[in-house]
Amino acid sequence: MGASELALPARPRGGASLANQARVYAEFIRVGFVNTLAYRLRYYTGIVTYFIYVSIYYFIWKAIYEHSAKIEGFDFKQLLTYVAVGWIIRSFYYNNIDQQIAIQVMEGKLAMDLIKPVNTQFMYVAQALGESVFRLALLTLPTAVILALVFPLRLPAGALNFAGFMLSVFMSFFIVAGINFCVGTFAIRLKSILGLLRAKYFLLELFSGLLIPISFFPEVFQKALAFMPFQYISYVPVLIYLGKLQGLGIVKALGIQLFWVFAMLALGDALWRWSSRRITIQGG
Amino acid sequence: MRDDPQCVDCMTALVEVQDLTKEFRTFKRREGVKGAIQNLFVRERIIVKAVDHVTFSIEPGEMVGYIGANGAGKSTTIKMLTGILVPTGGRVVANGFVPCRDRRHYTKRIGVVFGQRTQLWWDIAVVESFKLLKELYEIPDADYQKRLGLFSEILNLKDYMNTPVRKLSLGERMRCDLAASLLHNPPLLFLDEPTIGLDVVAKDRIREFLKEINRLERTTVLLTTHDLSDIEELSRRIMIIDRGKILFDGDLAEMKKRLAQYNQVKFFLKDRAQAASLAQITTDGISCERVDDVTYLMRFDRDKHSSAEVIRNLVNRLEVRDIFIEEEPIEDIVKRIYLSGEVG
Repeated sequence: MGASELALPARPRGGASLANQARVYAEFIRVGFVNTLAYRLRYYTGIVTYFIYVSIYYFIWKAIYEHSAKIEGFDFKQLLTYVAVGWIIRSFYYNNIDQQIAIQVMEGKLAMDLIKPVNTQFMYVAQALGESVFRLALLTLPTAVILALVFPLRLPAGALNFAGFMLSVFMSFFIVAGINFCVGTFAIRLKSILGLLRAKYFLLELFSGLLIPISFFPEVFQKALAFMPFQYISYVPVLIYLGKLQGLGIVKALGIQLFWVFAMLALGDALWRWSSRRITIQGG
Repeated sequence: MRDDPQCVDCMTALVEVQDLTKEFRTFKRREGVKGAIQNLFVRERIIVKAVDHVTFSIEPGEMVGYIGANGAGKSTTIKMLTGILVPTGGRVVANGFVPCRDRRHYTKRIGVVFGQRTQLWWDIAVVESFKLLKELYEIPDADYQKRLGLFSEILNLKDYMNTPVRKLSLGERMRCDLAASLLHNPPLLFLDEPTIGLDVVAKDRIREFLKEINRLERTTVLLTTHDLSDIEELSRRIMIIDRGKILFDGDLAEMKKRLAQYNQVKFFLKDRAQAASLAQITTDGISCERVDDVTYLMRFDRDKHSSAEVIRNLVNRLEVRDIFIEEEPIEDIVKRIYLSGEVG
């Protein structure tokens, strides 16, 4: 191989356009998707797990509804649908960016993220989105079909509600990704955040409305939660699905959700800047 | 900046490091149960200087070996040069950038390999990672194909381009990581222990590759290693860091000339009985070390004795079958520097 063969004017060029940026993050989405292929077996067991979760809640709520036809405006069938749809969408919006960052920090691999010429937050979110798209096909849709066949679930309240619901779930993904990235950045300063991750996991399940509808909470809690992003992850999308939010209510809810998407991503960016000055990498 | 005739730094040195310092704050740990309880409430802060006022510069096209004992500050220096760690003090300008301040633009124009970790995606085929890097560094199709073809030829990547990284051997993975770091043809390449854990053949392949790239592209390389033969093979310039400070920075040959203290003669006796007379030759700054019954290693001060004189003396008094004369191995020179913490 002679020198002439390599005489490339290939020194990288500067100034990435927006289209190029989009291409890069699209590529991360693709890699997130392909990377998940290696673990496809996990998702078959995932379907069973989700089925068991919903079954458990079915029996609990059935027992509770023995004594009353309606609780806080939900009849049994609505509540069952609330629970099932909540778990179905969770299989899509869920990600473990926080855990991934924690592991990178513990294993001293954060350096490998930092040598890449990208926005670290966008890289993590894009890869997580690739995974979520993968789960949508292999976990979310099969789970939805099975649950709909086994349990007497309600259909979406209407075409408009369904469209609003889909949009809302899409934004749920970004809120969760934003929150998880924020939590993950704490690993940089604290080194081990496994305890924090567990606490976050349970708080998120509770405050997102996945376990119980937010309207079942005491008044004070409801008021406080209204100022937080958590109920926009699960509670609000499912309310839209059930038709408990209609027309302008949907638009308003989606608007606030969009606000939280940007707020959480901005917070994550700020936290990253604050933490990355303090990176210490052991090993080597 | 490059067009500014007054900007001497940018025109000559590619990497300019001045008084670079990195301190880590950690907590002193007390021992025992009592200490552990005390640690819960009051912790004593201690400051560790991993890199202490380091100054050097690297010219375009140079290959520089950066060595030091474990924990000497090599990797910390590299991490500051690559924009991963923020320095506590001092200045780095590389490729016209301040690495930690402009990380995203800077990392687009450098290549980095950390031998102990991979920058490739663990669960996907090597070629998929390469495709992502192609987008990441905006490499034009034609360049990408050309370089990939060249790399896979020199490094022999063809057989496992479609294998997930987790299934590769260490040597294969390292070759892929090297290729990945050079796909975008960066003018500046940082290698942190690129040959760690590799067998002789794999090491050789990687060294040949680096030489070839340096020759063809004038790629500037800074590499850290524990294997001094890497440096003998690759770089003419060597920098030795110890406890955060640069102890030596200069030509490898120059270092040998200045710091080698002894020559050594390895000889094989005709039979075991000869060993009885060994005491006669080990006098006045000549030491003799037993390798096995008939093999001995004799070291002598270069200033006090000439090789000719020592060998004449040896063959006159003992029946010797074979003799080899060697310079002091670079390992020994470096070992002495590490142990004493100073040069000469």
